[in-house]
This record gives sequence, C-alpha cells and structure tokens, in this order.
Amino acid sequence: MDPLILSFAVVNGLLQGGIYGGIALGLSLIFGVLRVVNFAHGSFLMLSLYLSFWCWSLLGMDPYLSALVTVPAMFALGYLVQRVIISPLIVRERALVVEPLSALLLTCGIFLVVDNLALMAFGPDVRSVQLSYYMPSVMLGPIPVDTPRLIAAASSIGVAVAVSMWLRYSHLGRAIRATAQNRDAAAMSGIDVPQVYAVTFGLGCAILGLFGALIAPFIPVNPQIGVAFGIKSFIVVVLGGMGSLPGSIIGGLVIGVFEAVASQFVTATSAAIFSLGLFILVLLVRPAGIMGRA
Amino acid sequence: MSVTPHPHPVPLTRTTSPMGFSRGGIALAVLSGAAALLPLVTADSFLIHSAIMVLFFAYMATSWNFLCGYVGQLSLGHAMFSGVGGYVSVLLFTTYGVSPWIGMLVGGVVAAALSVLIGYPTFRLKGPYFALTTIAFAEIVRIWVENTDSFLGFRIKGAEGLVVPGVGGDSFWAFQFSGKAPYYYIILAMLALAILATMVMERSKLGYCLKAIRGDRDAAEALGISPTRYTQAAFAISAFMTALGGSFYAQFFRYINPERNMGLELSIDMALMSIIGGQGTPFGPLVGALLLMPLGEISRGYLGGQFLGLHLVIYGVVLMITVLYFPKGLIAPITALANRLFGRGGRP
Repeated sequence: MDPLILSFAVVNGLLQGGIYGGIALGLSLIFGVLRVVNFAHGSFLMLSLYLSFWCWSLLGMDPYLSALVTVPAMFALGYLVQRVIISPLIVRERALVVEPLSALLLTCGIFLVVDNLALMAFGPDVRSVQLSYYMPSVMLGPIPVDTPRLIAAASSIGVAVAVSMWLRYSHLGRAIRATAQNRDAAAMSGIDVPQVYAVTFGLGCAILGLFGALIAPFIPVNPQIGVAFGIKSFIVVVLGGMGSLPGSIIGGLVIGVFEAVASQFVTATSAAIFSLGLFILVLLVRPAGIMGRA
Repeated sequence: MSVTPHPHPVPLTRTTSPMGFSRGGIALAVLSGAAALLPLVTADSFLIHSAIMVLFFAYMATSWNFLCGYVGQLSLGHAMFSGVGGYVSVLLFTTYGVSPWIGMLVGGVVAAALSVLIGYPTFRLKGPYFALTTIAFAEIVRIWVENTDSFLGFRIKGAEGLVVPGVGGDSFWAFQFSGKAPYYYIILAMLALAILATMVMERSKLGYCLKAIRGDRDAAEALGISPTRYTQAAFAISAFMTALGGSFYAQFFRYINPERNMGLELSIDMALMSIIGGQGTPFGPLVGALLLMPLGEISRGYLGGQFLGLHLVIYGVVLMITVLYFPKGLIAPITALANRLFGRGGRP
C-alpha cells in the first residue's frame, strides 16, 4: 500500500470521524443525563439538514449563517419533545429509573413519525446546498484537505470542549450533572428536574442543529438519511462510552479512521460490516466503552 | 434483595386451572373457524390479499412475541431470520428443485442455528444494548446479502433479489397456486399453530421460567433458573417460526430481496404490532396486526398516491399512544371487557 494514499485515507477518516463524533454528542449527552436512548437522533439531524437547506434555497442564507436559525429551532423542538412526549413517561415511572425500553419505544415512534412526515412533505428527492463561493482545499503537505469538512470536524471538538466547560462551571451545568448522578437527590436539593431534562434534551438537539448547518454544504439531504447517521451515532457512542462527551469524539475518530483505512483494502460496504462488528465486539467485551465509567 | 420462601411450595408445572387454557383454546378455535369462512363469502382479490397480509404480520408478530414478549427483551433484528428462511427455501428450490415445504423447514433450522450463534453472547446485554446489538447483527446480514452475488455456489444476486420461477397452475409441491385462497388458508393455519404454540409454552415450564426471568433476572438465577438456557430455547423457536414466515412471504410474492425480507422496517413492524397489541400474551400480536394493518392498507390504498409513508406515521403515533397510555397493550382493555362479559373478575 502506497504510504501517501494510506495517509490520505487516514486524514479523510479523521475528518469524517470528527463529524461522526460531533453528530453523536447530543445522543451521548441525552443518554448520560436522562438514560433515554434517543432512537430519533438521526431523524432530528435530517430535520436540521432540511432546515438549513430551506434557509439557503428560500431565504438565500449562507449555510453557515443558517445555524442562527437551526440551533434555536432544534433546541425548541427538543425541549418540546421532552416536555410533551417523554416527560409523561418519566412522571409515570417516577419510583423507578425510567424503564429504558419504554423510552426507546417512544423515541422509535418519534423516529417513524418524523422520518415519514418528512417523506410526505418533501418527497424522496435528494437536495443539496451549493456554496456561492469556492473554498480552496487546505494543503497538509502533499495531502489536500477539504475545507468545509475541516470546519465541521474542528467544530465538533470545539463544541465538545465548550459543552464540557459549560457543564462543569455554569450553574445550570452543575444542576444537569447533579441530576445525571442522582435524580432524587437533585430534586431534594431544589433542582427543577423536569426543567433540567427538557433543557438537556433541547441542548442535545441544538448541537444537531449546528451540525446540520455545518455539514449541509457537503451532505445532500433526503428523508431517509437519518437512519444511517442514527445507526452510526449509536456505534460511535457505544464505542466511546455512553454519556461521555470526549468519548463521543474519540469514538467518532476511531470509527472514521477505521472505515477509511478498511475501505482501502476491502469495499466500502464490507467496511460498514466491520464497523458494525466492532460495535458488537465492544458491547460484549467492554460495554462501558473507551471513556465510560465502567 | 431477599427472597423469602413461599409458605406453600407450588409445583412449577400447570398451576393454573384447565379452565384458563380452554378459554384461550375456545377463543382460538372460534376465531380461526370464523376466519376460515372469509374466502367462501367473498371473491374480492384485494380483500383476500389484504387479509393475507394481516394474517402474515400477525404471524410474524406472534413469532417475535414468543421470545421478546415473554422474556422482556426488545429484538429489532428479527427480520434477519425472515430473510434467512426466505433465501434458504428459494435457493433450495431454484438450485436443487427441493419443495419449498421442505425448504422452509431447512430455513427454519438454519435460522435457529443462527439464533444460537447470536443469542449466546448477547443475552447478557440489557435493555437498549440488546436492542441495538440485534439491529447490528441484522444489518450485517442484510448488507452482506445485498453485496454478495454468489455464495457457496448459490446465486444470491445481491440487492437485485431472487425471483421464484413459476411452474404454472396449482402445485402444492411447489407451493404455488393461481388463486389467493390457498395462501390464505396456509397462513391462517400457520398463525393458529403459532398462537397455539404460544399458549402451550405459556403454561409450560419454559413459559414460567421466561416470566421469572422477565420479572427479575437475578432472582430467577438465584432460584436455579439458567437465564441463558431458557432464553436461548425460546429464541431458537422464535427464529424458527420467523423463518417459516419469511419462506411463506417469498412464495406468496414469488420474489425476495434483502430490503423487504430482512430490512429494519420489517423488524420494527414485527415488534411494533406485538407491543401495540400486547406483548407477553398469546393474542396480543394478533390484536396489534388487526388494528395496524387495515390502517396501513387504507392509507396506502386510498391516500398512498399523494402521501408516501403515511401508514408509518400512523404506526408511530399509535406506538407512542400505546407506550404512554396502554403500557400492557391494547389487549388489556379487551381482556377486561371479555372478563366482564363472561363473568370473570367477581362481577355477576
């Protein structure tokens, strides 16, 4: 194998992996705090991609600028979904930890509704955003690096650091961490747990809103795109450790490089099989993931 | 937790009155008898086709329920067994001319063997982890089939799928009939047998052990019930039944492809109907299919032109309502009503 081609694959894998990691951040955050596996994660990403696309095609907004719309809109959507749909389940099962399976089924219902409403409303066509300007590739030695992908991958690290800092130092962030550790004790200390849950869910979706805008320049959108990204996010989060933000980025990078390098030797579809196999292996051997608390 | 010994030890086999069994048995006999009349009163091909699809999905959901409903694990990968069953029977027929009746049994055995390979390592996983792992296994099988042209000399033809060549006219041996009524009776018999199997299992040692594992896995293990062994037994039977359904589907449409026969959507449908109807009950999956399939057919048949995917939106909404307001499934209010009508539950 030519070392230049291999290093090209590694660089591309790192970019792709950074993007996977950034997309998976919200899934990991929501699971870490609410213990809810959000099956509709990919569907929410699909929605943010559409939002970004419509901002560009109807309002003529730059895709990057459309983050100003997608982030608050997705926050509001996540906040409402938690308040209206998931919260009644948590209230009903107050005595226990939320039964993870009921929550999974509930979000599975959201996934079916959102994906197919999008199919009904937008049709199966693939749509893509065209940037009005040309971004030259950055040269890393002899290897060209696609700039929009670099921006998205770098942002995911930035977002992970920013959200971690916010969780560590802000008042609300402390309340979120307290709730994640022990819901009942947090409630007794005067924390408004339903509000914390809704804000966390909103935040997880807002991160998706941001990435919808960031990847819109190079990912064409159609209503079925959510499932693929959703499954990929599950793999990334399980690999990195459910609930860990740095784990999500690391898991993403590992999967990205793994797939990029593997697809140099086998076909890309076989590489997808290998990453699913890796996912199963991690669950069986180390269910806590790379960065998770065992 | 502490386990206090029961003051009057009860034998593990057949603790409920024989009455309970015969009530379910009578219901099954009456329902299948009534359903058997349908092809006699109508010759409407669309109606019979829709009824076949209702029974098919009720059968698949019943197969899913046999494991998942009773042991309380959510499998979202059962479609892989359907695909394995369908591919094995079709390939044996097209390559060696083996009757699909034999082929479907072979497919069932292959699916049961696959379930042992998958179940052995994964049953330790709980809740969402188990669900995600079953998706991963099913996706691996599907992606592999979609990208494989031939395997061990069998022409799988990847994503293109396989067509079952017609033999012309009616042939029981080749599992091919010109009318739809024979298919209707076959799937009706399969469903009745599956529900009967579920009722027998429910009252057997296997059923009690599965319920004990669902209630509290650690306590069950402390009492000497091996969770892996019993769950695996139910998983193998469930996989076998699902594979037979997959073979039926392939014969009925005379076409099979990875997307429809082993895709995530089929897995979700099976789980969905079972959960909405009432998992862990013999008739729950049937109730789910009876409710969802007509909703789906109506939205597809009359509105489908304009609204692609409407039936799945409806399924999703019904699923959310069920999880929130009918955690035991829609069969719970029906059973309560039946008990009130037939004088169970202390009312005159």
